[in-house]
Amino acid sequence: MTVLKRNPAIIWRVERQREAEVKQALAAGDDPGERGTVLLIDSGTMHQLNLVGGTIWQLIDGTRTAADIVADLAVEYDVSQDELIGDVEAFTSDLLQRGWLLHG
Amino acid sequence: MAEFTDLFSAPLTFNWTLSYRCNFSCVHCYSREEAAEELSTAEICSMVDILAEKQVPFINFGGGEPLVRADLFDVATYATSKGLNVSMNSNGWLLDLAAAEKLKAAGFKSVGISIDSADAALHDDFRCMQGAWDRAVGALQALRTVGLRSTLSAVISRINYQHFRQILDLARDNGVAQVYLHNFKCSGRGFKNREELDLSPEEWKAFYVEALAVKNATTDISISFDDPVIASLPGYAENPLVKGSSCGKLSLHLKPNGDITPCGFIPLVVGNLLHDDFDDLWKNSHILNAMRNKEAKGKCGSCGSYESCLGGCTARAFATTGDFSEPDPHCWK
Repeated sequence: MTVLKRNPAIIWRVERQREAEVKQALAAGDDPGERGTVLLIDSGTMHQLNLVGGTIWQLIDGTRTAADIVADLAVEYDVSQDELIGDVEAFTSDLLQRGWLLHG
Repeated sequence: MAEFTDLFSAPLTFNWTLSYRCNFSCVHCYSREEAAEELSTAEICSMVDILAEKQVPFINFGGGEPLVRADLFDVATYATSKGLNVSMNSNGWLLDLAAAEKLKAAGFKSVGISIDSADAALHDDFRCMQGAWDRAVGALQALRTVGLRSTLSAVISRINYQHFRQILDLARDNGVAQVYLHNFKCSGRGFKNREELDLSPEEWKAFYVEALAVKNATTDISISFDDPVIASLPGYAENPLVKGSSCGKLSLHLKPNGDITPCGFIPLVVGNLLHDDFDDLWKNSHILNAMRNKEAKGKCGSCGSYESCLGGCTARAFATTGDFSEPDPHCWK
């Protein structure tokens, strides 16, 4: 399994305050909805990733395979391994198709 | 607009005037009459540190002429090392092959050259500098030679609005990636000379209708306008990150002394990057919040396009009326 890396042409940043608020809402049992925590800019167009997507995005640092990412997420999120595998696969497939991710 | 700074913890771009000094004296210049103390290289690098810490992704050096500062290359190298995406705008006079190589080595992502006409004599006259056009085109060629992405900026005015296609051809001939057809700003000398240079609202409309059609039919070169007043036009298919002016929302301007203004064309100081708490300025500045929360005044109050354009260019409205919320004087509606 190859490692994944972010396309260096994509400009991005973590919106730390927003991320903290979303985590706080989750901890309090509230639904934070799809509020973005990571901003991506691709050719002048801005996109947002929600908390889970943003977390996966940050883990895709050119050293991890999809399996490594699932293992890291399993520490943070109390959901089944199968569900995490499905989420990571769906997310990375979509982003590979968009060209935002590359195989390392 | 609480939700605005809730999402955007900082602007995406700082347009940074390192110096108001310039080797040109153009008739439309917004900053020729401006003066401000310049900071040392170390102080400038301290500001870069702040911008990197705030995760501002883009800085664009303008002026004045950025190349009059001998430390431009060192500053850009430092900013690049901090992860910032660095670009600049220049009149091209000082940008020979050696300078282009140094810009490339410093990590510049893109360099914009100002050329207002495909007619060399007209450009030289507008820029008040004999030989300016030759040197500007030479700069584009030097950038192309070293493989550094170039853009071309033309300020649309009475001298060129009917001939913008030739400017696009000039860009094509010189390997330019993107052409900015900038709207005329009524600031500085642009305000003094606007009777002579600015178009009427009807002329702006005719220009944009034609230019948008050309843009939509053009695939080999990117054409940008960055003018919120065009949002009401048919054929306008952009999906901007924010409605209305992006100044004070997605971008801010830095003066040579570190003072922050909403944009280069609005002479209101929000605070100082070195001496004030940036997060506080960004969230709580009365000036920025007034720009983010404009109210529809005058004819905007009954206009169906207001939700798209939010009153057009805030800088132009402020320059001509002293009120952010008055209609953009270029508006034809």
